[in-house]
Amino acid sequence: MLFLVAAGLQLVFGVQKILNLACGSFYALGAYAGVSAVTWALGHGLPAPLFVLPLLAGGLALAALGPPLERLLSRIYDRDESFQLLLTFALVLMLEDVIRFVWGSAPVQLRGAYLAYGQVTLAGSTIPVYNLVVMAAGALIALGMGLLLTRTRFGRIVRATAENREMAAALGVDMRRVYRRVFTLGVVLGTVGGALVIPATAAVNEMAIEVIVEAFAVVVIGGLGSMRGAAVGALIVGVLKAGAIATWPEVEMLAIYVVVIGVLVLRPAGLFAGATT
Amino acid sequence: MRTTRRQFLQLTAGATAAAAVGLDIAPAFAQSTPVKLGVLAAKAGVLAPVGESGLRGVQWAAERINAAGGILGRKIELVVEEESSPKDTVERFRKLALQDKVDAVTGAISTGVGLALGPVAEEMKTIWLAWDATTQKGVEETIPKPKYSFRSTDNECEAVMASLLTARHWKGKFKTVAGINPDYSYGRDNWAAFLAIMKKYGIELQVVSELWPKLGATDFTAHVAALAQAKPDLIFSCHWAGDTPIFMKQAHGAGLTKSTKFVLTTGGGVHESLKKEFTPEGAILGYNTFYFEYAKASALGKEFVRWHQEKFKEWPNYESDHGYFTLVAYKAAVERAAKAAGGKWPTQDAVIQALEGVEAESLSGARRYREDHIMEATFFQGTTTHKNKHDFVTLDPVETMTTKQIQKPSGVGLYDWINGWKV
Repeated sequence: MLFLVAAGLQLVFGVQKILNLACGSFYALGAYAGVSAVTWALGHGLPAPLFVLPLLAGGLALAALGPPLERLLSRIYDRDESFQLLLTFALVLMLEDVIRFVWGSAPVQLRGAYLAYGQVTLAGSTIPVYNLVVMAAGALIALGMGLLLTRTRFGRIVRATAENREMAAALGVDMRRVYRRVFTLGVVLGTVGGALVIPATAAVNEMAIEVIVEAFAVVVIGGLGSMRGAAVGALIVGVLKAGAIATWPEVEMLAIYVVVIGVLVLRPAGLFAGATT
Repeated sequence: MRTTRRQFLQLTAGATAAAAVGLDIAPAFAQSTPVKLGVLAAKAGVLAPVGESGLRGVQWAAERINAAGGILGRKIELVVEEESSPKDTVERFRKLALQDKVDAVTGAISTGVGLALGPVAEEMKTIWLAWDATTQKGVEETIPKPKYSFRSTDNECEAVMASLLTARHWKGKFKTVAGINPDYSYGRDNWAAFLAIMKKYGIELQVVSELWPKLGATDFTAHVAALAQAKPDLIFSCHWAGDTPIFMKQAHGAGLTKSTKFVLTTGGGVHESLKKEFTPEGAILGYNTFYFEYAKASALGKEFVRWHQEKFKEWPNYESDHGYFTLVAYKAAVERAAKAAGGKWPTQDAVIQALEGVEAESLSGARRYREDHIMEATFFQGTTTHKNKHDFVTLDPVETMTTKQIQKPSGVGLYDWINGWKV
């Protein structure tokens, strides 16, 4: 799931050169919207195994936030990075308050969904089938993003814009439309990620900040602006965390940042620097 | 309009006259001005639900006291500020003391904030009645003999009680244990207290896993996988915030709740989120100093639960009671000191003296402040059950212990005290 948030961050940075801290808020919003959508649907007689449909719908519906927020951010496209960080961080704080206002400050959880598909025993350990569904969904979205960026006309325009925005504009690409769509796609990656993860956890107010920190570690390892980097970076961070907790729990956070430092020293631009795909 | 000299003189004359009259009526006037109490309640982050809960207890207490005529005829006026980072909270404490000129401050939950507030309360000479936020170890160092700070119960009380229950119910029934506790002083202290008490009770155990997730973590899949691999007979956890249900949900998903014994010392703070679908029966669960469904609760306690449920559609937790107690204790102390002073509003020093050893009826029964400014209360823990009208677990049976049993006495180190037990 970290991949989806990081991918949203990458996409927006790659094309619009905006470091969007609010990607974490989209993740949190997706989680809360997912809970509301599924609870509503189950309350209206939806059979439990179909809960993923409203879950995804909840995440996708938040795409509506993309265009207005992009309009707001469009004022600072040409400004210094620090303005972008400040504005997007302000968005994080504001959206956190929106969440508290709408859903309250107590943790919100989704009932009766996590184990709706049962559990399986793999290599001696019990895993809820839903965890596998999420993994598959993550892989599918990664594949879909890859195809979208390399095989479609929209993907070619996006890559061209990322490569050289003046040239693309000169060739007749409507920048504002591309920006709006790319930003919305970035939002949706985050909200769908948040929605997908919520059956296994609970939505809490501060989840936005938590995920931003990890997403940045992913992005630094993978390389800013690179999709493949987001995927590999997320994988590295996930495996490192799990490995550290299983063997030496004290170094859980340390292990990740040791790798981050290593990458910054040896390959400052990240493992997959420069490529948008 | 420009003020002429004559007008100015008239104005000052009027003001002087008013001031002279004001001096005369000052004592009567003071009786009718409200008692200002500052409240520091967390509103964001991990602490938010607990902070809101404490604030509700304070507000309910203020409403009731005011409806009954206030404290010696003076109504209580609350000035609510936010508890956030230690630095900002200290600033707000100063603002309450200097600008709002409050008579006392109640609130604060986070240990980090508490450590910072202690010395400031002494410096500002302002009474501070903490809800929590007073890990003894740190407080002993920063404010060794506080005059203005009144602290909560010891942090380790819930671990001590849960450990005693573990020994009582499960001695000889487990061998391997794992601990998963939030990575800060509270988690570390509680885990150490548990191990010390197990040793004292001659329970030979093998620690197979010690995990320290961040406070407020939302993903425990890796921790749960490590626990599943370690296969402990018993898992000890003092999680108390929104991370508790997440951990239990993921532990249940990995099949850990089938045969493992759980000791959740403080999970009762977020009791409504411990849904039956993933929280097993038969676990030891601590509700801290207030249990909302206690059959033997006082009429007052039951009335509060009813009010809370009707108003917020939630069942209250212990922090409301901490908040409630700080107000009724303050009222009792003022009245006690006033009696000694012949009915006049007492000086702050007299109130402090009266707070030492003051007893008041709280929502969970009688509570008091010890002479060394530490709270004495009753703790509620027990065995989880699914047999109730809720969608979350409750306790059956409920067991109670008082701080006389589970809190180290004044001036004694925790481990010296434990080692001195006769078992």
